[in-house]
Amino acid sequence: MAPPPSSYRPRKKRKFPLSSTGSNNALIVDDGNGKHTPAFPLASFLWAARAGVSQWLILPLILMAVGLFRWAVSLWGYSGFQVPPMHGDFEAQRHWMEITIHLPMSKWYTYDLQYWGLDYPPLTAYHSWLLGKIGTLFDPSWFALDESRGFEDPQLKVYMRATVVVSEYLIFIPAVVNFLRRYTQMHGVPVWSASVALVAILLQPSTILIDHGHFQYNTVMLGFVAASLDAILAGRMLWACIFFVGALGFKQMALYYAPVMFAFLLGICVFPRIQLIRLVCISLVTVVAFAVLIAPLVVSAVSAGAQNELSSIPLPPLLQALPIKLDKSSILYAPLLQLTQVIHRIFPFARGLFEDKVANAWCAIHTFYKLHRFEATLLQRVSLGATLASIFIPCAIIFRHPRASFLLPALSTVAWGFFLFSFQVHEKSVLLPLLPMTLMLSGDGGLSKETRAWVGWANMLGSWTMFPLLQRDGLRVPYFVMTFLWAYLLGLPPSSLEVYRSRSSSDDPSPLLEPHIITKLVHLCFYLAMVAWHVLEAFVPPPPGKPDLWVVLNVLIGAGGFGLTYLWCLRKLVLQCWMIGRKVEKDTQKKNQ
Amino acid sequence: MADLYPSLAQCAIVATAFKILLFPAYKSTDFEVHRNWLAITHSLPVKEWYYEKTSEWTLDYPPFFAAFEWLLSQVAQYADPAMLTVKNLNYDSWQTIYFQRATVIISELVLVFALNRFIKSAPQSNKHLAHISSLSILLSPGLLIIDHIHFQYNGFMYGVLILSIVLARKQSTLLYSGITFAILLCMKHIHLYLSLAYFVYLLRTYCLDPKSVFRPRFGNIFKLGLGVISVFAVAFGPFIYWNQLLQLKDRLFPFSRGLCHAYWAPNIWAMYSFVDRALILLAPRLGLSINEEALTSVTRGLVGDTSFAVLPEVTKEHTFALTFLFQLLPLIKLWRSPGDWDVFVGAITLCGYASFLFGWHVHEKAVLLIIIPFSLIALRDRRYFSAFRSLAIAGHVSLFPLLFTAAEFPIKTVYTVFWLVLFLFVFEQVAPVPERPRIFPIVDRFSLLYLAVAIPLIIYCSLLHQLIFGLERYEFLPLMFMSSYSALGVVGSWIGFMVVYFTA
Repeated sequence: MAPPPSSYRPRKKRKFPLSSTGSNNALIVDDGNGKHTPAFPLASFLWAARAGVSQWLILPLILMAVGLFRWAVSLWGYSGFQVPPMHGDFEAQRHWMEITIHLPMSKWYTYDLQYWGLDYPPLTAYHSWLLGKIGTLFDPSWFALDESRGFEDPQLKVYMRATVVVSEYLIFIPAVVNFLRRYTQMHGVPVWSASVALVAILLQPSTILIDHGHFQYNTVMLGFVAASLDAILAGRMLWACIFFVGALGFKQMALYYAPVMFAFLLGICVFPRIQLIRLVCISLVTVVAFAVLIAPLVVSAVSAGAQNELSSIPLPPLLQALPIKLDKSSILYAPLLQLTQVIHRIFPFARGLFEDKVANAWCAIHTFYKLHRFEATLLQRVSLGATLASIFIPCAIIFRHPRASFLLPALSTVAWGFFLFSFQVHEKSVLLPLLPMTLMLSGDGGLSKETRAWVGWANMLGSWTMFPLLQRDGLRVPYFVMTFLWAYLLGLPPSSLEVYRSRSSSDDPSPLLEPHIITKLVHLCFYLAMVAWHVLEAFVPPPPGKPDLWVVLNVLIGAGGFGLTYLWCLRKLVLQCWMIGRKVEKDTQKKNQ
Repeated sequence: MADLYPSLAQCAIVATAFKILLFPAYKSTDFEVHRNWLAITHSLPVKEWYYEKTSEWTLDYPPFFAAFEWLLSQVAQYADPAMLTVKNLNYDSWQTIYFQRATVIISELVLVFALNRFIKSAPQSNKHLAHISSLSILLSPGLLIIDHIHFQYNGFMYGVLILSIVLARKQSTLLYSGITFAILLCMKHIHLYLSLAYFVYLLRTYCLDPKSVFRPRFGNIFKLGLGVISVFAVAFGPFIYWNQLLQLKDRLFPFSRGLCHAYWAPNIWAMYSFVDRALILLAPRLGLSINEEALTSVTRGLVGDTSFAVLPEVTKEHTFALTFLFQLLPLIKLWRSPGDWDVFVGAITLCGYASFLFGWHVHEKAVLLIIIPFSLIALRDRRYFSAFRSLAIAGHVSLFPLLFTAAEFPIKTVYTVFWLVLFLFVFEQVAPVPERPRIFPIVDRFSLLYLAVAIPLIIYCSLLHQLIFGLERYEFLPLMFMSSYSALGVVGSWIGFMVVYFTA
């Protein structure tokens, strides 16, 4: 019998010439007898999809598989579980849903600030409102005002976990998938390599552990950033502005990326020739987007009841600092008050230089040379200066050469600069530099040993520095499983030394695609240190006088590693810029001849 | 052609990572059952194992499994000695959970080993097919749901079963196949259902001359008999010596249970009950008499002692007769084709079908008894595959009611859909074209329609029903729909496979 007509269609065989682009080279190892083997386990899992399998099949399978791991991690503990009276991030998010659905907008940023007062930008508040409304349909007691504080029903946990997954699948995942599609096409990376990179990016352990384990909605903000990058690649600069405002409006941490975005958007208006209209459009759209974002809050402050409520709170410092005397009876007074209160809540300048133990420069210096002795304002200035210095070069490059292909290294460099030197850094902020850096896996040669080694190393360090935090949340097992799994899939230590082994074949060992000997040594030392640290932490109690010794050690090693990663990203950016400059020179020479 | 990637080991590593993440997931009373057995075997002398009844979950597996538990308990005392106290009912410290869950994962290595042997035993031209079916068994959602969430040791047992099936592939290892199967029987007696196929195959292929039925090979008969009898002697000897055999029989074969298990397994009796329910509504019009007592009992779906309102009662004898009859049919063909391993596996599958479809008090979990042997031959050609497809869908969907907590809902559904999409697609691609034309091309269309119905049905049963009727009312309805739907699929695939088996 002939097969049914619909199921069989002769396909055009797509062939991937092995020599044209770098990425497939790195995935398939030719053992010399004409037999091809996958270079690392992840390539092996997608081996059957090498050619001719529809993305309509591969993509859903990938999304289901990574979704399963997310949900499995979410079965474990979350921050603040059974830790009264304040609990943790889970309770904070739940509390925001509770206050946003029950209180008028004018009270959102002023209500009982001692108990997890809202301190994220308005989009988070709207997001919480929506989730709270939907959750109330299931069970109103989850979000009853004041009554529900510290509520820990298993059903509530399932609902909250589901909101993280759904938010991620609505924002982060479509954004990343679209970004990758465009980015890989731009770089001429084959579809198959793109799928491999997609899995690697979506299984990034630190993001999963923080969002689905510890409990936060970072992927929403990161998703807006990815959407913004995607819009830039598509040439829709105005959409890029809107998405980026969305990211900023969801979580102020997106400011780590802002200098690059600003420099880039300004750059495209100035180089190669000045385009004033574009500049006006971009700034106008940005301002309007911000205005739309904040408008409901400001408008809500106009009503009479809201005015009374608002005038009872202490004046935000920002308003106090204003030199002019304000007319309290003016209709604009309440909206202004609301606006400044929101800003005051979002940017708490009064907090310390760093929080807890963070693997950044200040915390590392503090270990040896106590920084308490200086005045807070001095420290703030020094921190500002150091941050500016660290981000100056990448911003300048991206301003002078506003090319989409420079964005990822520039974003990573700048975010690392912020993480290392800025004020008030949280250990979870490491997700910000890790995102653009991990996205680099999808670029040309992104899965080559060199990039894979560095990106992998930074990710391993990143989740390792969060171990003390994750351990407190009861996420020890998911930490080990997810981190080891990622390392295994990408062929990284501790599961394999494959990336650090040179290929013996003599044909085109391009020097850029293999890690340098010094890189190998440094990386391996760090991996050894991480493993040794885990052994120490698990089996050796810290000396009696220094209960935090292991955490401090973790921070020191982490800060050192992140510093090196910052330098690598910077070097990559400069090299790319230099190579393109040389290429342009050659082209002009050719033309002149 | 033979790209054996991803390898079995690679899949096992990733699957293990996922299974470890499932440690805190829902666990059924079977977890407590096995904890209790650990405690019994560790703290009591062997003599008392089958008499202990502090917990309601008494030891009701054969001696080798009890010995396996004893072995585990030797390690368990280092994890948390408190779990080994018989009186500690429902004890589940996190050490206990970690330990017991880990033993499931580790004992599953037997399955990996057996699958590895299976791939090696396949002829070179079929290696990639064997590889793919091995992966499908290793990653089976059935094993994931039953073993790693619900909690049992099926991966381990089916590993032993596959090992024994693989050993039956070569004439030189037939003896070991028989002995392995005897050991398996002494671990979990549900495999008795498959024993007739083994008996016939070994008798015909090993004990008699392949060319003539009338030339027995006495050497082989002696070796096999000695091997099997000594296995049983080791397992049951001590209990016979203590005169406990009757007690063992009562524990292993508790016939006081009803026809259908709590959640109706998707077999003939589920369809029978469904028809009975439907007839209650129609009875007044058709002038049938209704057994009033039955009206209250079945509706809950939680059946201890099933009785039917309209249709005649079913007795144990009926179920046995039907099971035996439908096992006998494939065995005739097996008898007539000595040494044909594919027919042997087909006969095992059909024995599994018969016992699942007609058996007394069948568990929905027993569907693995069909799926796993069938997987080994599902890729023989497209006709086998088309029978396998509806079984794969129905069998796995029918396991859904095992997990009813909200947190596990995404895992069971997404994982099963993932597995079905991936493996049904891959099977479709690689299954060779059959040598003979298909008899019922129309069957394919039906199985497609069948697949399409699954999605709205699952949505209704897991979501819409609660929204429409609330949690309490008509709670048996989704279960009944699910099991009738699944029963349709299982019966359909059974008929399809019978046709393939007898025409091959």
